[in-house]
Amino acid sequence: MRGAGRRLMPLLRPRNLVLASVGALLVAWPYLGADRFVLHVAALTFVWAVVASYWNLTNGFAGITSLGNMGFFAIGAYTSAVLAKELDLTPWATMPVGALATMALVTVLVGLPVLRLRGIYIALLTLAFADALPSVITIFRAWTGGGIGLLGIPELLEDLEKWQAYYFALAFFAVAQAALVLVVRGAPGLAFVALRDSEPFAQALGVDRFKEGLRVFAISAFFTGFAGALYAHLLGQISPAMLGIEQFLMVISMWMLGGAGTLLGPVLGAAIITFGNEYLRVAGSLRLGLLGLAIVITVLFFPGGIMQLVGRARGFLTRPRRGGSDPDTVDGAALPVGSGSETGEGR
Amino acid sequence: MLRIRDVTSSYGDIQILRGVSLDVGDGEIVALLGPNGHGKSTLLKAIAGVHPATGGSIELDGEEIRTEPPHRIVERGVAYIPEERFLFPEMTVFENLRLGAYTRRARERFDENLAFVYEIFPRLRERRDQACQSLSGGESRMVAIARGLMSGARLLLVDEPSIGLAPALKKDVYEAIRSINQQAGISVLLVEQEIEYALRLASRAYLLKKGAILFERPVSELDVAHVKEAYF
Amino acid sequence: MDAFLNSLASGLIVGSLYAIMAMGLTILYGVSHVFNFAHGHVAVVAAYLVWFAAVRLGLALPVGVAAALLVMVVLALATYWGAIRGLLRRSEWGFGTLLFTLGLAILAEYALLELFGPRVKSVPAVLPGSVRLWFGRLALNDLFLITASVVLMVLVGAFLKRTLTGQAMRAVAQSLPGAQVVGIDIDRIYGATFIFAFVMTGLSGVLLGTKTYMTPHIGWEWMIKGFVIVAFGGLGSVPGAIVAAFLLGVVEALVTLYLGAIWIWPAWLVTFIVALWLRPQGILGGRST
Repeated sequence: MRGAGRRLMPLLRPRNLVLASVGALLVAWPYLGADRFVLHVAALTFVWAVVASYWNLTNGFAGITSLGNMGFFAIGAYTSAVLAKELDLTPWATMPVGALATMALVTVLVGLPVLRLRGIYIALLTLAFADALPSVITIFRAWTGGGIGLLGIPELLEDLEKWQAYYFALAFFAVAQAALVLVVRGAPGLAFVALRDSEPFAQALGVDRFKEGLRVFAISAFFTGFAGALYAHLLGQISPAMLGIEQFLMVISMWMLGGAGTLLGPVLGAAIITFGNEYLRVAGSLRLGLLGLAIVITVLFFPGGIMQLVGRARGFLTRPRRGGSDPDTVDGAALPVGSGSETGEGR
Repeated sequence: MLRIRDVTSSYGDIQILRGVSLDVGDGEIVALLGPNGHGKSTLLKAIAGVHPATGGSIELDGEEIRTEPPHRIVERGVAYIPEERFLFPEMTVFENLRLGAYTRRARERFDENLAFVYEIFPRLRERRDQACQSLSGGESRMVAIARGLMSGARLLLVDEPSIGLAPALKKDVYEAIRSINQQAGISVLLVEQEIEYALRLASRAYLLKKGAILFERPVSELDVAHVKEAYF
Repeated sequence: MDAFLNSLASGLIVGSLYAIMAMGLTILYGVSHVFNFAHGHVAVVAAYLVWFAAVRLGLALPVGVAAALLVMVVLALATYWGAIRGLLRRSEWGFGTLLFTLGLAILAEYALLELFGPRVKSVPAVLPGSVRLWFGRLALNDLFLITASVVLMVLVGAFLKRTLTGQAMRAVAQSLPGAQVVGIDIDRIYGATFIFAFVMTGLSGVLLGTKTYMTPHIGWEWMIKGFVIVAFGGLGSVPGAIVAAFLLGVVEALVTLYLGAIWIWPAWLVTFIVALWLRPQGILGGRST
């Protein structure tokens, strides 16, 4: 009795109960009378949440300042879309191919050269990589549609309904998050915690920064590319605008506003920014100003993002529990942002 | 001239200094001895303001300087010559010395101080247009000390000036410190591993162990064996 | 042959402007280790201010330039003392400054869009007209641009070598603890470096504005070109940035001539990767990290 109780206890902790009820709510949402527009935006939110979470994996957890993740997204989107359209294949086959192609291309073209470098060079080279892609898309305009973009991409199902799209995106999101938890709490995550705390010690334990970095890069590219492919087949159209600076900053601010180096932060950030963006469409260029303001204010006053505020609120409610975040939660705001130590070179 | 009381300092969670008190009089050479890693360099860094002390008081001529930034402390006439040297590698010897006289007071007495420095270290005059990254270890040490002197300091904090030097060069460096003290009347707080040299130069010595002063004696009452014994 | 010489000349002119633009970026990084992602926007803001003064208000060009540079000084001081100084004291300062300057860049873009609208503009030419040379016609403005760039480079060299502030900036770049030990006020020098970088970058924006068109969005393109040049030349190295700027200016002109403008970005990227692969510390040295 007592043994079973002890095993059940962690599952019954308040945090897990909250997560479980939110999950159930998400599954039930289409039946609770959400309209088609809301479901559409929610589906997009799931896609962006995956992109933001895996961006946060390289930057927030592994401390690799990658600025090229929108490039991974675009490679996945275009590979899957072009294959499905030109070869008349089902998206169910081309999406994994797109994700694998992204993983291979990114690992070889970006990971191998970039991870030998340090700090700001990684940021610069990955950004240059993503920035050169629109030219590549234009050069292959016979397949990619050039600057106008690619229209009439086969959808996941014929006459895809919004609620179906919602469930596909939710399923993908759930799988990607589960994989992320395994990576962060598993061997690669531990390796990077060790590297961050003390590189010589980590190396003595046999942790290889280059190899671990490459592994994290490959995983991140796979899921980001898959998200791109899903995005293409959900919307039925893509264009090089996805590589524009606005989209780039929007996704960066998702995990940054949410809380870099946390599991839940990027998801919350993705929800706020995606919905905010859709509802502010009427405001035009004001969105740009708001985005800039949000980034500047977050960096200056809440470097830990929303999760920092959540942590504070929890600490306030449950005062005796020292700071409010139990030591074993990865999604507490306590984890430092790893990228700083990577960009920073001993001041 | 320098009066230190109950200074504490730490790196992260690790407390290095646990309440150190020490005095340096006008025109005096004081040796700070003790085993490695017990806080000697940390104390010099705290005085120079490079790694500020967390508590206690550091007074220079009766004025509290513990919380002042490093450049103010240099302006007050304290020069810190770190063990790591921290020269400007791509600049010439002369450019390093010129930057040594960065404060306004030092710039006014630039020619005078430069002549004095060249007199103590004639080698630096020969090497004046050579980039510092191409100097030998001994020459770099000389530049570091000379650069400290260029600030027109009244108090010199010297950290392990002889470390890694050949015996002949070591002697040169000690002669230089002696003449700095005797000719210019500059007070010196000297951290040194070579107990023998330190005792020959200084008039008093402190022994710092585990972040606190173990004892303070005039050098006449100390000998090398006695000090070494206290290390363990 | 004439086409080749023509595009070589244009490559050298554009290269000299890139060199001026990259100089502020590389010196700012060398001294403070802050990589300014709003760099391109600083240039565009200055160019727009000059356009506003000269075209809208009808002021003389030098007056407009002086006013724009004054604004740059104020912006530089506000950026350093208001934000960067605090960010540098955090443990994750590298990432903090990166994101802050990114946010600043979008704010600048938004401000330009609101104030001046999205339409294409350019700064009026300093010297109208052109001269005939053996390989074709050369605009007098181009001649002015290359002269001005070379003069600016010489002035920057003299500033860094001869003035006390310039020497202190180099000292901080080469050894921060060394600079503290000799009594350099680090905050003051960081502030001065921000002023220097913003003024140089603003000037480069004005010069570029007379040569090419500009929109509120062009800042991103200028920023990325600036950082490729700086990384190529070695972060923090001024001579490296100048050589890299001329090299990439010429490569850009020749690629445009023989392959078409669409290949410019892939060409920049390939040169960049090859350069980093061969010499991560840049073509003439400088900081490797």
